Amino acid sequence: MRKLDRLSIGGLACLLVLVLFALGSPAGAGGDPDAIVGPRLQPPGPGWWLGTDNLGRSVLPRVMEGVGTTLLLSSVAVLVTAVLSAAFGILAGYRGGYLNELVMRLVEVLYSFPAIVLAILVAAVLGPGQTAALASIVLVTIPLMTRLVRAAAVAVAQRDYVTSAVISGAGLPRVLVRHVLPNVAGTIAVQGTYALSVGIAVEGGLSFLGFGVQPPQASLGVLIQQGGTYMIAAPWLILGPGVVLVAAILAINVVGDGLRDRLEPRETRSLT
Amino acid sequence: MRLLMWWSGRALSSAATLLGVSVLIFAAVRLMPGGFAETVLGPFATAEQKAELATRYGLDQPVFMQYGHWLAAVSGGDFGISMISRQPVGAELLARLPVTAELTVLAVAASVLLGVPLGVLTAVRARPGGGGAAGRLLSGLGVSVPEFVLGSLVVFVFSRYALGLKVGSWVPLTQDPAANLATMILPAAVLSVFAISVTARTTRDAVMGVLVEPYVTAAVGRGESPWSIVRHHILRNAATPVVTLIGTTVAYLLGGALIVEHVFNLPGVGSYIVQAVGRRDYAVVQAGVLLAAGVFIVMNVLIDLLVGAIDPRLGVLAGRRS
Amino acid sequence: MRPLRLACGVAAALLASACAATGPITTPTDAAQESAAPGYLAVADQALAPGGTLNVQVHIDSGAATGYDPQLADVATTWQLLSLSYETLVTVGPDFAIQPLLAEKWDTPDDRTYVFHLREGVTFSNGRKLTADDVVGSLKRLLASKSVWVGQLGPVDEIAKDGDGKVKVTLKEPYTPFLAALANVPAAILPMKEIDDKSVDPATTLLGTGPYVVEDHRQDVSWTFRRNDAYWNQGKPAADVLNITIAPEEAARIAALQNGGAALATLGNVDSESMLAGAADVKVVTQATTDFYYLMLNSLKPGSKLADPKVRQAINIALDTKQIAEVALGGKGEPTAVTPAGLPGSCDPAALPSAAKGPDEAKRLLAEAGAENLSFTLTIFNTEPAPAVAQVIQQNLQQAGITVKIEQMDEASWSGKVYGKAPAEFDAALSWFAGYADPGMVTKWWNPETAGFNAGFMRPDPALSAAIDAAGKEPAGAARDRALAEVCAQADADAQMIPLVTRPATVAFRTDALSPSLYATEGYGNVLRLVADARVKKSR
Repeated sequence: MRKLDRLSIGGLACLLVLVLFALGSPAGAGGDPDAIVGPRLQPPGPGWWLGTDNLGRSVLPRVMEGVGTTLLLSSVAVLVTAVLSAAFGILAGYRGGYLNELVMRLVEVLYSFPAIVLAILVAAVLGPGQTAALASIVLVTIPLMTRLVRAAAVAVAQRDYVTSAVISGAGLPRVLVRHVLPNVAGTIAVQGTYALSVGIAVEGGLSFLGFGVQPPQASLGVLIQQGGTYMIAAPWLILGPGVVLVAAILAINVVGDGLRDRLEPRETRSLT
Repeated sequence: MRLLMWWSGRALSSAATLLGVSVLIFAAVRLMPGGFAETVLGPFATAEQKAELATRYGLDQPVFMQYGHWLAAVSGGDFGISMISRQPVGAELLARLPVTAELTVLAVAASVLLGVPLGVLTAVRARPGGGGAAGRLLSGLGVSVPEFVLGSLVVFVFSRYALGLKVGSWVPLTQDPAANLATMILPAAVLSVFAISVTARTTRDAVMGVLVEPYVTAAVGRGESPWSIVRHHILRNAATPVVTLIGTTVAYLLGGALIVEHVFNLPGVGSYIVQAVGRRDYAVVQAGVLLAAGVFIVMNVLIDLLVGAIDPRLGVLAGRRS
Repeated sequence: MRPLRLACGVAAALLASACAATGPITTPTDAAQESAAPGYLAVADQALAPGGTLNVQVHIDSGAATGYDPQLADVATTWQLLSLSYETLVTVGPDFAIQPLLAEKWDTPDDRTYVFHLREGVTFSNGRKLTADDVVGSLKRLLASKSVWVGQLGPVDEIAKDGDGKVKVTLKEPYTPFLAALANVPAAILPMKEIDDKSVDPATTLLGTGPYVVEDHRQDVSWTFRRNDAYWNQGKPAADVLNITIAPEEAARIAALQNGGAALATLGNVDSESMLAGAADVKVVTQATTDFYYLMLNSLKPGSKLADPKVRQAINIALDTKQIAEVALGGKGEPTAVTPAGLPGSCDPAALPSAAKGPDEAKRLLAEAGAENLSFTLTIFNTEPAPAVAQVIQQNLQQAGITVKIEQMDEASWSGKVYGKAPAEFDAALSWFAGYADPGMVTKWWNPETAGFNAGFMRPDPALSAAIDAAGKEPAGAARDRALAEVCAQADADAQMIPLVTRPATVAFRTDALSPSLYATEGYGNVLRLVADARVKKSR
């Protein structure tokens, strides 16, 4: 096992800063994100450090709220995905048989939908809002993670220690939780970080197409969608949320890479 | 014989998946709130007009009957009639497919022509233990910028500084290839950024995996030139994950194309689906999504075939992938 | 070449900034537009040679299960497209004046009778001459149809041929908005001979007397119109081909304008003027329309506090329409009463009883009604600027202690929720009406028995309905203005549908590619009303 490399630590630090930034919103820092505080479309200045939006609201508290919404939504969604994928993937991989067949077929069906199409269908059925965004992210991220967890579980099932545990009379739940789960945890962690970045992108895409969270709540997707229209007249509207969104996804991806390198180390060599 | 068995099994499971997809689409479309009647006819329509519309499109029958009729029609190549344009959906899809296909082909071409060499280069140049932080950061950035952010940015920049490229004035390929390309390059570029980055990352990982194999060590020992090693040993052995990835990318791009078509106002399948969802044009949503899923499923079968051709050990006879 | 053009550009920019510096910031409507006559935003330069191709981009296509039938078209965006091929007996001129079109003139022997003299030499685009039978047949077909426009046409008693080339319409009682109602696309004159013998289906074919003929239409992608060479109005239309591209995304339309892909485009964002401020050769103008946003309060939902007139009145008082206009519409709209602000004869929204009162009065009314801590859901569609309007409403009502939860959905779900069931399921909803060309017309929707579509959430108010009918009968003049003011006051007290602010239309065009004609005001949402006059500049 190696330590996380410097880049991943940087990513982690970046995430930490974003979380702290987001926590400032419920704590009241920056002011009320919904209140009309000044003239419309003002450039950054005292009273509105990141400028005002098209309704004269201060952008800073809105970005803070937006980061919080997006991170919270995506994290909860990815947690749900991780739990469901772990359960289905391990069961299907370890037990095999018709259960495996059923799970894999369902996963295959979900996997066949392009992510954003699936998300739009879910949002259209549930109506725009947090629930729809959450369900979309779960449905979009679940197929890949379930597949990979299952593959890992299949490999683990044939290991000696699992066989010996079964021979020594351990019950199924005990085998799954004590022996299989710890060995697929790495896969879940790595995939979880990727799913998180996908989740943030899906939330953003949904908001961009008008299926996102309800106004006046801000999310990064909503802010970018609105900021995009004002790119010429008020570039500060898209700058903040755009940078934060890319930074969040980038940080998560970098951490995911680092985690993968740590949990699934490979030797490398150079040709030159 | 085993090959035949494998193929029939694969075809069967693909068909089962497609059937599952069709059920899911149909259910989703019927579960959408907002009646088709209010949407299609508008608020001023009377109850009679709504009933008439429902009868005309068979929407007053029980849902499972509707599904049966639809499935039977689709199997016969009939995708139904759009409630909005009152034209056959199949013909319109056929007219729009080339746009999405062109976008996807351009993006895939870019990802292969740029992503693969980039991946090989960064892998071969990487120092043992060295992180290649710059490359990782760069490719990380590529996968981290969503299409809608990049698309909006590109539309903004190029609408001010055109540089001979066009935004928002699509011309059919058959009408004027040069003008068409001028309108397609920007959206294709936006779409391909993600694909290039992912391809580069995967190629890099695959190549680095191969670099530690004994036959590469042996080749280095024999004093073969790096280029020869790359050509003869590495590319062939690293190709499998890359080909698999490119297949997945095609499917991913079909989804990404939806956003890009929306941003750049291109009349492709993606914008067709988005508009149809908004208007509850059931037949169009069903056909569009089924098409996207169908392409994905067929693509997966093709990848299996291709992987088998590249590396017989991993192919068809090595058993099913899942 | 390049330095020269650059120099010209710099000179123009200097000139422009000099003009801007000399006075207060001017809005396009009152800015001294080089050639614009009163009532116009722009007048096409007749010195330019006719011909050429005009590329237009709009945000939405026509689209309804009823197809192209103009009589059944009920949204302004569809009227706009159909008006290129269909014409009405009379039309709306600058400042809402009624002008001749297919009728060369008309007599009104008494206040219930109209005799239209049809224009000579008018043919349909299939070459057949327009006859009085087409006119009589079209209007009869309209009255027998399920068109919403029947409610606007008024108490028509009889339509008959009155000798050659003349048509007489008799009303049951005087109805002042009659001509204005005849001026809109649903009252267009159709080729009745062909429709009756079933050789033409107006749902699938456009066959009218208008300046353009449809060559091609791809739903939600584009229209191609070609000039009708046999058009009766000599020398029109100026442009040979009119391409209309459907571009739902605003950024794409702005981009097309900037890089020359479009010569004219409709814009939806209230700030598009400042967004295109630096664009060379692009001019942005705001057309004042009579369209306006209104807030629906569902008084028929069982158990709803909004059934109480006092609660609705409190909401009406707490609304700050000035702030809505300033903030949500960037100052491009203005407060309005039920008679659209800007139409001659409309009442003054500042004089409404609710306008004089403040949040404290609203709080008092709520307390009286036992509805302190009132909280309800406002259902809106996601097309801008509706979400902006809703968020300002939310802030307004917060001042009076009312909590509003916004529920934003796509237009389809919104329609389903608002019009799908009776009684309707929503608490409050936001939408807009086209305001038409006579102040009495849109008020008719405040009687749910005439309108129908709002019967699921609105209770008929006898006093309000009586006031609407009275204003309809009164001939234009001071007495009618008083009658309309009474309608405004009654609607303000009823507060089941609360008028908010007018909804401006923004149009941008390339000055180096096009010299268009545009009215300063528009009642039927038709930006392309004068497109037959537009001259394409070819030397570029």
